[in-house]
Amino acid sequence: MSGERTPYAEFKAPKGVIKVELEMAGDKISHISISGDFFMYPEEAIGALERALEGVEVRGETLHAAVQKFYRSTGALTPMVEPEHWVEAILRAAGGGK
Amino acid sequence: MSSTVVINITMEGELASKKWRLLPLRIDDAFTAMAIDEALLRLNAEGKSPNTLRFWRWLPSAVSLGCFQSVEREVDFEAAERYGVDVVRRITGGGAVFHDHDGELTYSIVCRQGDVPEDIIESYRLICGGLVRGFENLGLRAEFKPVNDVHANGKKISGSAQTRRWGSVLQHGTVLISPDVRQMFELLKVSPEKISDKFIASVYGRVTTIEREIGRKSTFWEVRETMIAGFEDSLNVKFQEGELTSEELELTKKLRPKYASDEWLRKR
Repeated sequence: MSGERTPYAEFKAPKGVIKVELEMAGDKISHISISGDFFMYPEEAIGALERALEGVEVRGETLHAAVQKFYRSTGALTPMVEPEHWVEAILRAAGGGK
Repeated sequence: MSSTVVINITMEGELASKKWRLLPLRIDDAFTAMAIDEALLRLNAEGKSPNTLRFWRWLPSAVSLGCFQSVEREVDFEAAERYGVDVVRRITGGGAVFHDHDGELTYSIVCRQGDVPEDIIESYRLICGGLVRGFENLGLRAEFKPVNDVHANGKKISGSAQTRRWGSVLQHGTVLISPDVRQMFELLKVSPEKISDKFIASVYGRVTTIEREIGRKSTFWEVRETMIAGFEDSLNVKFQEGELTSEELELTKKLRPKYASDEWLRKR
C-alpha cells in the first residue's frame, strides 16, 4: 500500500457500466480489474481481456489495438459494448476518474 | 377478453410441434435456485434434460449479482445483514437484482442453442417476447428493450440475463410484482454514473412494478399463468407439466456449495 489512490473509474456504455481499477507501472498497466453489469460471451473471456491489457501503454491507440486483438483472438461477443468503451473506461481510470 | 386469449393459445398450441417441460412454482434459497439453473443447463446440454420453463420465489429474499460485478462495489452488506437477505453471484452477466420474496417472481428458461436465434439480441427478443405478451395479458403496454430488458409504460419492469454453455442456453430474469423498492435501493449501491445519466430523471422513475402499473396487487399464480401463456405464444411451444428428475436434484446438490461459497461470491 503506497497510500496513493488506486486509479479507478466508471464508464456507462450503451449497455452496462464498465468499472475499471488499475495498477500502473510508469505509463503502462501492470494490473487491471474490470467489473460491471455488461454481458460477455463466453464469460471467461473477461480474464483474457484483462490479460490482453496488462503491459499495455495507457494511450488511446495502443489500448484500442490491444482490445481489438482480444476480440479477434477470442471471438468474444459483448452486445452493445464496443472496443472504444473499454478504452474510454481505462483512460478515465488512468486520468483519475470522474 | 380473457376467453379470446385462451382460444388463441389453444389454436397455436395445436399447431406447435415442440413440447417443453414446465416445472411447478418453487420456493428456494438463492444458492439452491442458482444450482438448479446450472444443473438444468448442464443436463440439457448433455441431452439428459428437456427444454424447460420454471418460476420460483426466493426465501429468504436475496440479491443476485451478475458474474462480472464486484460484490464490494454493488452490495451493501450491512443492509443485507440487517434485512436477512442472501447475496449470490450468478453465472450470467448483467446487473444486480433484488429478489423480494413477497414481491418478485423469477423465471428461467433452459433450451438447446438451436431453439433460439444465434444472434444474442434476437435470442433475448424471442424469450423476452414471452414476458412482453404476459405483461400485455395483464393489460400493460410492454416492449422489449435491447439487450435484456422489458419496459412497461416506459419504465423497466423486468430484466433478464443469459448464458450459452456447451450448446445450450440459460436465460433467467426477474418480474417485478410489488417489491419493496426502498429496500432494493438500500441493498444495491447504485452507480453515480447511472444516476447522473441525463435520460434518467430519477432512480425511482426508471423502474416500475405490476402493482404500480395496474393499480392492484396481482398474485404470483396470476402472473405465472399469464407469463406461461406469453412464453407459449412467443416460443411457439406447448408446455407439459413435469418435475425435476432425480438426476437434476442430485446435480443441484453437488453444485449448491459453489454458490454458497465465499470464494465464488468474492470472485470479483
